[in-house]
Amino acid sequence: MFMKRTALAVLLLISPLLVQTVQPSERAAERLEMVREQIAARGVNDPATLQALREVPRHLFVPPDQSYAAYADGPLPIGYGQTISQPYIVAAMTELVRPGPNRKFLEVGTGSGYQAAVLVATGAEVYSIELIPQLARYGQANLARAGYPQVRTRSGDGYYGWPEAAPFDGILVTAAAEAVPPPLLEQLADGGRMVIPVGSRFFTQTLLLVEKRGGKFVTTNLMPVRFVPFRRAE
Amino acid sequence: MNPDGRLRRQQLAIGLISVALLADQLALLQLLATSQWHHFAYLVISVALLGFGAAGTLLSLARQWLLTRLERLLPLCLLGCALGLLLPLLAATFLFGQFDSYLLFVSFAEILKLLLVCLLLFLPFFCGALAIGLLFAAAPERIGSSYFANLLGSGLGCFVGLAGLELLFPEQLIPVCALLAWLAALPVLAVRRGAVGAAAAISVLILIAFLKPLPVQLSQYKDLRRTLDLPGAEILERRPGADGQVHLVQASQLRGGTAVSLNWRKELPRVQALFSNGDRVGGLDPHLVEESPDDASTLALPYALTTPQRVLILAAESGAAVAQAVRNGAKQVRAVAASRTLWQTLSASKVAQELLNHPRVDWRQSAPRTWLVRDRESYGLIILPTVGSFGGSSGLYALNEQPLLTREALQQAYRRLQPEGLLAVTVWFDYPLRKPLRLLATLAEALELEGGDSLQQLVAVRSWGTLTFCVKKSSFTVVELAGIRAFCARWGFDPLLLPGLTPAERQRHNRLQDAQLFVWFDQLLSPARQQLYADYPFRITPAVDDRPFFAQFLRWPFIADLIDLYGTRSMPFVELGLLVAALTTLVLLLLALALILLPLLRLPKGEGGLGRTLLYFSGLGLGYIWVELVLIHRFSFYLGQPVLALALVVGVLLIGSGCGSLLSGKLSAARPGRWSGVLVLLIVSYALLIPALEQVSLGWNLWLRALLGGFTLVPLALLMGLPFPLGLRRLAELTPAQVPWAWGVNGCLSVAGAAGATLIAVELGFQLMLLLAAGAYLLPLLAGVAIKPASSG
Repeated sequence: MFMKRTALAVLLLISPLLVQTVQPSERAAERLEMVREQIAARGVNDPATLQALREVPRHLFVPPDQSYAAYADGPLPIGYGQTISQPYIVAAMTELVRPGPNRKFLEVGTGSGYQAAVLVATGAEVYSIELIPQLARYGQANLARAGYPQVRTRSGDGYYGWPEAAPFDGILVTAAAEAVPPPLLEQLADGGRMVIPVGSRFFTQTLLLVEKRGGKFVTTNLMPVRFVPFRRAE
Repeated sequence: MNPDGRLRRQQLAIGLISVALLADQLALLQLLATSQWHHFAYLVISVALLGFGAAGTLLSLARQWLLTRLERLLPLCLLGCALGLLLPLLAATFLFGQFDSYLLFVSFAEILKLLLVCLLLFLPFFCGALAIGLLFAAAPERIGSSYFANLLGSGLGCFVGLAGLELLFPEQLIPVCALLAWLAALPVLAVRRGAVGAAAAISVLILIAFLKPLPVQLSQYKDLRRTLDLPGAEILERRPGADGQVHLVQASQLRGGTAVSLNWRKELPRVQALFSNGDRVGGLDPHLVEESPDDASTLALPYALTTPQRVLILAAESGAAVAQAVRNGAKQVRAVAASRTLWQTLSASKVAQELLNHPRVDWRQSAPRTWLVRDRESYGLIILPTVGSFGGSSGLYALNEQPLLTREALQQAYRRLQPEGLLAVTVWFDYPLRKPLRLLATLAEALELEGGDSLQQLVAVRSWGTLTFCVKKSSFTVVELAGIRAFCARWGFDPLLLPGLTPAERQRHNRLQDAQLFVWFDQLLSPARQQLYADYPFRITPAVDDRPFFAQFLRWPFIADLIDLYGTRSMPFVELGLLVAALTTLVLLLLALALILLPLLRLPKGEGGLGRTLLYFSGLGLGYIWVELVLIHRFSFYLGQPVLALALVVGVLLIGSGCGSLLSGKLSAARPGRWSGVLVLLIVSYALLIPALEQVSLGWNLWLRALLGGFTLVPLALLMGLPFPLGLRRLAELTPAQVPWAWGVNGCLSVAGAAGATLIAVELGFQLMLLLAAGAYLLPLLAGVAIKPASSG
């Protein structure tokens, strides 16, 4: 933990320098491959989502010691028991809220900032809340360094959402709990969608989609890793 | 120096160091269970045995060299042990928080960390065992009394360790163990400036470690660590306990509710959370009158069907289910809490006072399963604890015994129901789907074995995250079915199992992308159930009392398929528990071979008959540890107090075996194998005796049961102490060159037996493990009854 805190502190200190040195084309080939192999191949086909994932430099949102695995097919730890989600989960969640210009999203759990960056790269307006202050600063610094300062971030309890900016066309709860906070459901626009990953935080196994229709809610359990028995009785 | 006086001092040293080493093992078990997971408990026991085995091997290889330096080496070993016992505390502060057991299978760095932990744990046991071995070797003619001091000390160490954990946290108990090891050095410490200086320095270190214990880092995967990472999180109370240390935590972000309906529009109340050994037990729900979020979850299903007069709530520690029963009008609620420490913490909480002193609630402290068997009353509603958790547990509890979730337990609960009574249990959905399927299979089989009809007496309701089953003693009425539908409509839930259910009703509010779940559920209630058991890649057959591992789903033949589906990196997140046990067994077996047996290859093997010697002593190594583990399992159920069962079984077996070894000095060593034959018969008769004992005395007072159980174990314990010293004595007379091999193979098989015992219990069951233990004791008999060189026999 001490090492991670130190790395975080160093990263925060040198982040202004890094902003000037990052090249958008850096590791572009890895991103193209990631989108082709891990995301499009698994059925994500929303053009805006795929384009955003090709653009956003994921390696700037992971701790330096994990940078080598930034485009690998899995989540990575970012400290404080949190992870940057597997690229496919980020893509699936983004596609589910139907991103694009003139749409407004709330993210609960900024974490590394990567999910917010992908959303904003589709042209959407993004608000993001992070509970843990150190992570909020970390995510904010990553977003600035990667060239997405327009994401509005703040540190606080995601339970209450961001009422001043409500209603939202979509809400992504990346740090889910045993119950969906009623204020978030209130802040979802009619016809809006909320996405929550369910399962181990270190290995998301399913996504929960909540749709608001005329003040009522319908949920759908989506299985990114579709599980069927290998040998079914014929 | 008076030889008798010296011998007494040496035996005192043996006794003290044995107390220290056993008590330390118990402290380490809890330390690792809290900071990592209980899987590492097996690691502690095996590494301790490895230390003993490796010390025996070193003693065999360099006996003369070591004995000529006994005066200097002995205090060095004991002080080294005292110092070494403090090392795991450093690991707990600087290493445990970084260690990632999920990455064990893909990251060499994590394997190195595991090996480093093993080494830190190994050193004090190696030093302590070497000191004991040196004292054994220094007075071979008194081996019986020295062995007695060793086993008596170990037996007492078990009680000291458990009593210590009642009063102290493990990071405080470990320095106490170090102090005992330090005290063991005093009787044999020669008054030299260096020795006294070292002893003084170590005593200061021990004092500092006790008074200012280093903070124990928790794995990032532990519930407690995640909660304490929340801004402003505060530990309101921390309480030591042999049945698990407890934390009561408050944070403004901690809120109540279990998969609450999205139609719940009120505030989710802030709650305090209880943790046992770092795992979340539940939130304290103080609402006894006004509606609470749990009333808008599937947990409330039984109250949509009935307002029961008498409710039994099993494993009621957090009090949430009790509060719900009170809120919903139950006239009399009997709440059974398993953990004494959790109960004490709850009693000290201001929030819980109203619930604890509520006139309609009768609190009892007992293991729920034992209560279920002992209780003779009947209930309108029995509620079992919720299975699984929101985040999924990734096979973490695969090796936990869950006696309340076996087919037999559900049958017993069913029998306790009044004619119109209900049995309710809730499970979190997991993906891939395992727990809900296994729970349904267990409920259906239990119900059918009791003569019920699972299509008419079993209903289930599903929310976005949980599934609640209700089993009724009789068929559901039309009014009750209408009540379930109204409950679902109010809260946006869907009936999953209901007599007369239409397919459209199953997905009205909570849809599934993959509707295969319905096919599986229907199949489990049809004659095709067995086919699904066979085809499903996870184990979903009901857990039974003999294999009470509800959360163990891994089927070895399907591992390759699962890795294909999830990849090696993700696989541990699906099924961790058994994989860790298998990996640690393998690592420890290799270490045992490398540290215990391989070095012995340099020694002469005697004049033949080595095979028989190895057979004799390997059988003893395996048999002893397996008998011990099976008895702990059976006594946990019998006494209803797992910690007391552990203390009683280990304590009586060790002290009894110590007395047996003392007695062995008066017996002829001519045919030592015959005692193993007697043991085989005794173990088989215990397999028959213990169920009879449970039948007769389960209703007795706890301490009477403990007394009876303890006395029952005495003959077995005494006999188990005979074959080893008798065999050694015989070997020393006939083929002294094989004595080190006897020690070595016994140590090696004890390590492997302890590490592999879990795998055997999970795969084959405890009954077969007891028979295997009897089989292991058959080996010394097969070795030729008497140990002797092949040429002479």
